[in-house]
Order: sequence, then structure tokens, then C-alpha cells
Amino acid sequence: MPQLKILAEGKGEYLKVDPDGYREYVRDHKQRAMVSKLMSEKEAVEKFVANGDYLVYECNYLQRGPSSLIREVIRQKKEDLWLGAKFTWVAAALLVGAGCVSKLDVGFFLFGPVVEEAIREGRVKAYEYSNVVMSNRIMAGAMGLPFIPVRSFGGTDGFQYSGAKLIEDPYTGQPITLVPALNPDVALIHAHQADIYGNARIFGTGISHVESAYASKKVIISTEEIVDTEEIKRDPARTSIPYYAVDAVVHTPFGAYPGEMQGRYASDVGHVIEVVGATMRGWIPQYLDKYIYGVASHTEMMDKLVGYQRIREITGRATIKEGYSV
Amino acid sequence: MGTPAAYFNEREHQICLVARMIENARTYWVAGGGSPMAAILLAKKLSAPEAVYVTEDGVVNPEPMLPLDPLMTMVSSRASYRALQWGTMNSIGFQAQIGLMDVGILNTLQVDPYGNINSTATGDYDGEHRRFGGPGGADSIASLCWKTILMTDQQKRKFVPRVDFISSPGYLDGTEGARERAGLPRGTDPWRVVTPWAPFDYEDRYMRLAGVSPFVTVEQVLAEMSFEPKMAKEIETLETPTEEELAVLRSELDQRGQITDVGKPIIRLDDGTYQFVEEEQAEAKEKETPSSW
Repeated sequence: MPQLKILAEGKGEYLKVDPDGYREYVRDHKQRAMVSKLMSEKEAVEKFVANGDYLVYECNYLQRGPSSLIREVIRQKKEDLWLGAKFTWVAAALLVGAGCVSKLDVGFFLFGPVVEEAIREGRVKAYEYSNVVMSNRIMAGAMGLPFIPVRSFGGTDGFQYSGAKLIEDPYTGQPITLVPALNPDVALIHAHQADIYGNARIFGTGISHVESAYASKKVIISTEEIVDTEEIKRDPARTSIPYYAVDAVVHTPFGAYPGEMQGRYASDVGHVIEVVGATMRGWIPQYLDKYIYGVASHTEMMDKLVGYQRIREITGRATIKEGYSV
Repeated sequence: MGTPAAYFNEREHQICLVARMIENARTYWVAGGGSPMAAILLAKKLSAPEAVYVTEDGVVNPEPMLPLDPLMTMVSSRASYRALQWGTMNSIGFQAQIGLMDVGILNTLQVDPYGNINSTATGDYDGEHRRFGGPGGADSIASLCWKTILMTDQQKRKFVPRVDFISSPGYLDGTEGARERAGLPRGTDPWRVVTPWAPFDYEDRYMRLAGVSPFVTVEQVLAEMSFEPKMAKEIETLETPTEEELAVLRSELDQRGQITDVGKPIIRLDDGTYQFVEEEQAEAKEKETPSSW
């Protein structure tokens, strides 16, 4: 029996890889019946985000991300989360600042004193990847595979602090980097449209929303608009995610606020500067107090802290409609 | 080439230098935001309208509606307007992995003579260090594009003998075949480093000074490096920005001055000589804000 040659391996901890276990989970937990999954953000996060979960969110707090769900995770003071921190501006920093996080798989995040201190004091452990490698890992999880070969990442110092391995490819004989598949416990995804069963449409560019939905044990979709299933059936090619991958649907207009939701509203520039400033200058606690702990829900935040004038301003600036089904 | 501008800042000059390297009918994977994006857009407006670019959110060759809102350089309707394709990070990663992307354009915090890039941490990663955001898309750009252009500032602390952390690969240890031995695709290379003061290329996988901006001397460039680069036989003196380039950059691409760093040193061209104009130093805190905002 020829031996597979491992040439190098990272020493980073990685989420246990178990494709058969994931299949069994999917068999036992993903509902095949078309049943309404509509619920409030509070109920969805209570029910589907547990302490200790590995959590991914698609895009981020400032760009078509599930911002209201991220705020709800913080509001419910979830703990010991392991974040897939790819393509992240402030989301990882807010979650770390709120004490929700114990581990980070880093692609990119906006650093700042709060995260830096948490890492330095050992409250948060960082493992190193890249945005694309993290997306590839999620894709492998979505394909039901244990790992995926990648042509990047080899030779970096990040490799040393990751779950990657360099092996001799049994087909070409050349060195090839493998990274472990990722099957997160929970994915938070914000959509333009969904029906009550979870058939969801996401328009525009993105990171790995389809892959995250297939790869994750529990999938919470927040959506700008609830549409009838008849509307879904009129144009099935536009269904990004089918209902049976989804566990909860939360109707959340302005769910990506303060970020942009392409076709519907622009980012709130003032709020973006406020939250980035808070991250860079260590004022995350003040931000959390004001926008998260200080209100009971997304609706209350939009009513009390954002208000009609700013909603008019951000919707008015979303002048590009082509491609967003609005 | 056009009329040399009488006033410009270092960042504007650097963006123009990179823009002039961009060619029609080539594909560019550009870091999402900041000066790399300004360089490709400037080239597309003036010198290489048929250059094609992608960003890591999966957008293929958009005609962005400018100016972009702060930080909204990806997954945004303005940044992705009138594209040829809207894909995802995986789709762009795979397009680059099969060899479709000719040139990557990146910013970095720290670079070494082998073109290795650090955007993760300065200091001792296992001990005292300062944490930064991680490679983002840069590792894939530097691994998978055929060539890479790196943009950074001419500072001693940025040009170091060995980066504190290799976030994205250059020639790694500089030995022949090191990239291939690490599993990276054959025939991909770091290619150029461009600072406001000087462009560099590589000779035998080691950084080489290829030119100098007319407002500094070679000695000044070398004084702002913590290692000695190889020297090209002829050190070219670079052209400074033209009025036409600056008009597009300032009035169309960067109306809010987010990209071109209002705090950067300003250079004045007067009667054939260049001078730095004294100006207020930006607050240290200001400098910590991300370059793309």
C-alpha cells in the first residue's frame, strides 16, 4: 500500500470534520415538508444559535449582511462562539467586543483595540486563513466533502496557524494544499426576498451565501420582503437557496442596516462612520449600549434611533434598480 | 503625455504610476477599494479603456457609479453597476485558480525583498505583536494571478528584510521553485512594487530598484528601506501626474478624498523643480483608518 505523503501541516485547531455526521444531521433535522418557518428574530436566535456554536454570517455588518441578526445574537449574550471571520469589517469586532466569541477563523476583519486586547489576553484565539480559503472551506462543506485542495495559501505563515496540510498530490505528484471542510453550526444570511418556507432570493454579488446555506446545520434567513411561493415559481432560476436548507425565516425590512442592501437602500454613511470609528478607537461598548442593549429589537432601533428621515435618505439614494428585482 | 500638474500629492502620483502600467485586454484582480481600485479606474478612463477588472465579491468588469460611499467598494450596487457578471468569492477564486487573472493589484502593510506580504501582525506573532486584519483576498490574489503589483509607502518600517508574518506569498524564502514547492501554481510571480517614490521589479527573485520619482533621490529611497535592494543598470526617472490624470482622479474617482489621503505630502512643480510643500500632519489616529475609506 503506498503511503500518502504529508509534507507539512498547520498546528491550528479546526472545527471537527465529519461529513457523514453532517449527512445524518441533515437527514434527521432538515425539514422536507413545506412548513412555515416564519418567526421573530428573537425566537430564531433563541432557537437556533446556541452557546459554543460555530457561526458564519454572509457578507458583513456593512454590506448586505444579516446585521439585525448579528445584533440579536449580541443582545441575547450568546457565548463561546467560533466565528468564520471572512470578508468582515466590524461584525467580528462587535461580537468579540460583546464577549460572544472565543475563537476566530480569520479571513479578514477590521481590527482595533478591543479585538487586539481580546487576542492578546487570550480570551479569543485566532486561526489564520484567507477570505477565499474560508469560502472554499464552506464550499467543501456544502459539497459534503471532508476537505478541498486549494492552489493558494501554501507557503504562508497563516498556513502554520491553520488546519491546512500540504501533501504530495497522488495524481500529479506535485505538492498541493488541503484545507478542512467547514460545516458551521449556524449561518445567518440576509436575503432580498423569501417565502415563508425559506425559498430565498439574493441578488447581486456576494461571498458564499448559497454554500453557507448548504454547509450549515442551522440556517436563519432574514429577508427584506416575504413573497408568495407563486412568485418563486414564476422564476425558479432566481431561487438562490431552496426551502429545505433553511430553518428559520425572519421578515426584517432594513435588516442589513446600517449597511447597504443593493437595490433597496444605501448604507447610512453617518452610522457606518460611527461604527467603524467605535471599532478603531475602542468604543465598542458604547456602540453596543446605544444600538443593541438599549433597544429590545431591530424594529425598536429603526423607530427610535434611525427614524423616518434617515430611512427616506438611504432609500432615496438606492437609485440603481437593475438586477435586484425591485 | 499631457501637461505635468503643478500640485499633486504622493498618493495621487502613486495611483498614476500604477494606472500607466495597466493594459487593454488584460484581466486585473484588484483589492476591493483604496488606491488599487483607483488605479484601474483611472486607467480605464484614460489609457486602457478595455482593461478588465474583478473584485473578490465576484463582480466582473463593472462600470461603477462614482463616487462610492465610504467602505462600499464591494457587494454594493454602485461598485457593481453594469458588470458583465455578478458572481461570488468562490467564483472569482476559481476563475483565478484556472489562470484567468493576469495581474493582481494589492496594498500592503509590510513587504520584504522576496515580495512576501504582511497584513496580519507586526512584532512576534507568538508573543508581543500588533494585530491587523489578515490577508482578506490578498493571499489568493498573490498566489493565483500570473503577476502581482504591490502598492505601499516608501518607509523603512514597510520595507523589511523579512516580513514579521507572511500573510500572502511572494517568493517565500527566495529560492528557485519555492512557490511551487508550497503548492502554488507554476509560473506565477510577484512582479512590481510601486511606492510614491519608486518602482521596483525583481532580479533572481530579489527586489530591484528600477526607477525614482523626480522629487526624491535614489539615496532618499534607499534610506527608507531596511534592506538593500538590487539596482537596475539604469534607474529611470518617472513622470509625475498630468493635469488630465488629476482632473479625472479628483473630479470623478475620488471626489471625497477618501482614496488619495488628504494628509499625504504635497509636491509642487515650479519651473522644472519639485518641492515638498509643508502641511499639517494628520493626527496619528486618523492614520489608523483603513485606506479605502
